[in-house]
Amino acid sequence: MKLLSQAALVAIAGSLAGLAANALSPHPAVLGRPAQALADTGGGTCQLPAQGPLATPRISVPEAEARCTACTAGFVDAREARDYEAGHVVRALHLAPGEPGEDQVVAQLASFPLVVVYDGQADCGRAEAVARRLKARGLKEVRVLTGAWPAWLAAGGPGVSGPCELCQQGAR
Amino acid sequence: MKPFLLGLVRAALGAVFLYAAATKLPDLAAFATDLANYRMLPAALVPAAAATVVGIELVVGALLVAGLAARAAALVTAGLLALFVAGLSQALLRGIDLHCGCFGGTELASWGTVARDLPMLGAAAVAVWGPGRLRPGRIISAPPGAAGRE
Repeated sequence: MKLLSQAALVAIAGSLAGLAANALSPHPAVLGRPAQALADTGGGTCQLPAQGPLATPRISVPEAEARCTACTAGFVDAREARDYEAGHVVRALHLAPGEPGEDQVVAQLASFPLVVVYDGQADCGRAEAVARRLKARGLKEVRVLTGAWPAWLAAGGPGVSGPCELCQQGAR
Repeated sequence: MKPFLLGLVRAALGAVFLYAAATKLPDLAAFATDLANYRMLPAALVPAAAATVVGIELVVGALLVAGLAARAAALVTAGLLALFVAGLSQALLRGIDLHCGCFGGTELASWGTVARDLPMLGAAAVAVWGPGRLRPGRIISAPPGAAGRE
């Protein structure tokens, strides 16, 4: 019991010391401001370069935004359906890895010379998986969006919310 | 365990924690971001938690090195290490790609990082429950054979 009491005192003393040290730190953690994960700010999402011979080439947000505005690229959101519905690139289709609806999405994308896939992961894993599926179905020019949706938002790229109205049965 | 060895374990553990705290202190904002990446706490609590973790590292490190309230400090250290192992494991199991934030650098979290924490957790447990206690003053002033007694 004495040991636990002492340990509690040590923990409390440490906490107070930490708050004091934070006040003296050249770059303190701002106590009143929530600290966001990098993936939520676009700082860490899908930033890793494509690796390996089978990796999908990347496309930057400014380049993709220009193609979006000119409607010369089709966009595919590879995140969960609820994330898509909360907000996505305007006119983007939804296709998550392992979910049905591929035929309809491929049919809609066939007329575009370029397809851009994005997700919300640091390693672009979901986007890579969907991009591979699309390439296997014959779409020739497929790229993964660097920075993904958070970076698109941060850059002020056009976005909307709601379910995928362009997707047919099976795809959301 | 011989008092000398026990003291060495405590001092080494304390030195590691002092070093870990010292590497984080210059940029606690960056450590808060590292901590947020684990997605274990509400974002509003993360900055205070980051400062608290570093402060506890600092205090337990100093106490372990000095041999003062060493069992209590080792118990807190063990708790902290258990939290680190749990945090790293849940992040790895959830597929979160992140820097571990261990020593203020850009080391990526991996199962190797978890494996590195486990011996330290064992050392902290030995320091809490192992026999004997080392206080530097006693070693110097106590007669031979008295250093290991409580």
